[in-house]
Amino acid sequence: MTIPAVSGYFFGSAIIVIILIMFACLLRAIRGPEIADRIVAVNMLGTLTIMVICILSLWQNESYLLDVALIYAMISFLAVVVLTRVYLGVHREHLMNRKNREYFAEYADGDAASVAADAAAAVSGTDNAENASAAAPAGKGGDV
Amino acid sequence: MEWVRFIIGSLCIVCGLLIALIAAFGLFKFRFALNRMHAAAMTDTLGILMVLLGLIIMRGFCFDSLKLALIILFFWFASPVSSHLLAGMEVEISDRLKDNCDVEETERKGGVQ
Repeated sequence: MTIPAVSGYFFGSAIIVIILIMFACLLRAIRGPEIADRIVAVNMLGTLTIMVICILSLWQNESYLLDVALIYAMISFLAVVVLTRVYLGVHREHLMNRKNREYFAEYADGDAASVAADAAAAVSGTDNAENASAAAPAGKGGDV
Repeated sequence: MEWVRFIIGSLCIVCGLLIALIAAFGLFKFRFALNRMHAAAMTDTLGILMVLLGLIIMRGFCFDSLKLALIILFFWFASPVSSHLLAGMEVEISDRLKDNCDVEETERKGGVQ
């Protein structure tokens, strides 16, 4: 037994183990109930991919794969930063739209009860509107 | 001498794989995103340190080991930053934060600027 033969078996089994862990992470990224769970799982997936690339580089004696791993690390970090910032921006815009709608509802009729009703309608209003627009053509079709 | 280096390096790699396995287990054991982040950040620091250190020991002292050390260094700088951004996002958007953490009632000023 020489070192290259043994190291071939060792690196192969290590890569197989990492791929099994990656499938577990992928499962969490699919099932994660919140957006943060998914981003955490994707971040860990990137780290495991970098491990695979580095092991492959020593196994095959290709040193340029290490450059690929370095670039992959930078892009993985960039992906997390961009996803986080974009999602925060979307969330803030959504909040601001809702606040604006409540503000204008308050000015339309000063009554406090109707303002609260409008705010509640603004929260669940999209669903109702969709249901109504989906129900209207069906009813028309039934009449004809 | 070659064999000694190979065995020490492979022990380091096995340690790193065990840490990654524990982190993947933690991703499924915990119930809240911040706890899961705690488990998953272990791969980003200790796991990749052990695996790449094992590869450096196997490879010996040359230009490749410098690149591997650069990857470790980059991860140690990048991982806390991304964890901070993720935690700030989770604190700002999560609805069930109070069920899972002890938070004081203060006015939120936005987690990430």
